[in-house]
Amino acid sequence: MPRKNVSIKLKNRISELERLGQKFQAFGAGIGLSKKCVFQINLAVDELFTNIVKYGFADNNLHYIAVVLSHENGKISIRVEDNGIPFDPAARQTSELKDQIEDCKIGGLGLHLVKKIMDDIVYERSGKKNVITLIKYIPQP
Amino acid sequence: MEIIETQKEDISIFKLNGRLDSNTSPALEKKLVWAIENGTRNMVIDFENLDYISSAGLRIILKTTKDLKRTEGNIVLCAMQDYVKEVFEIAGFDTFLPIFSTVDEALAKV
Repeated sequence: MPRKNVSIKLKNRISELERLGQKFQAFGAGIGLSKKCVFQINLAVDELFTNIVKYGFADNNLHYIAVVLSHENGKISIRVEDNGIPFDPAARQTSELKDQIEDCKIGGLGLHLVKKIMDDIVYERSGKKNVITLIKYIPQP
Repeated sequence: MEIIETQKEDISIFKLNGRLDSNTSPALEKKLVWAIENGTRNMVIDFENLDYISSAGLRIILKTTKDLKRTEGNIVLCAMQDYVKEVFEIAGFDTFLPIFSTVDEALAKV
């Protein structure tokens, strides 16, 4: 499969999820990903993006969230960058138990899904930015 | 997302088309809440044409399950894509929510 990078700039508005979904469809089609794989990486970014839009900013002003998708050697890397309040989703405890999941605080269920679906999640605070990198190895047929 | 509601005897069937995420889930929530408030007790949610679900969608299903439990109603889900079903399993929802392969099975079991 060829090397491919896609950059997406999203406003901090939930309505942007539709455009995000279209970008994932196009990215997946471009490198021949399975429907399931496209769904999973879209879901992971959706959950992070939704958390950022809902809880990431102390004001109601317009902010931008940058998403960069890369594919190389059977590995998909996704970088999600925002300038909101510091938040490390990788460090947040998520629960295995369903009755605790539903009571989880901010984005508990969503982050649980992200951690289960992706192979790795790395957070760094870079200056005034949150930078999250997600890794997914494409399953071999 | 499109929601098509049909009735079979005392069972309300909701067929979901498209994507269920935090953008589209409020419309589904509104529809399901309205149905329960207006007497629906037995519900089938048909996922055959649902291409996408996020935790926002799972939460609506969970909330509806609780609402129906309070009113002694039932909810069953059916016809999911494999990858959608997997999300229900990862969330642990399959342990308390019946998921069937076809609408007919769901109608027989609700």
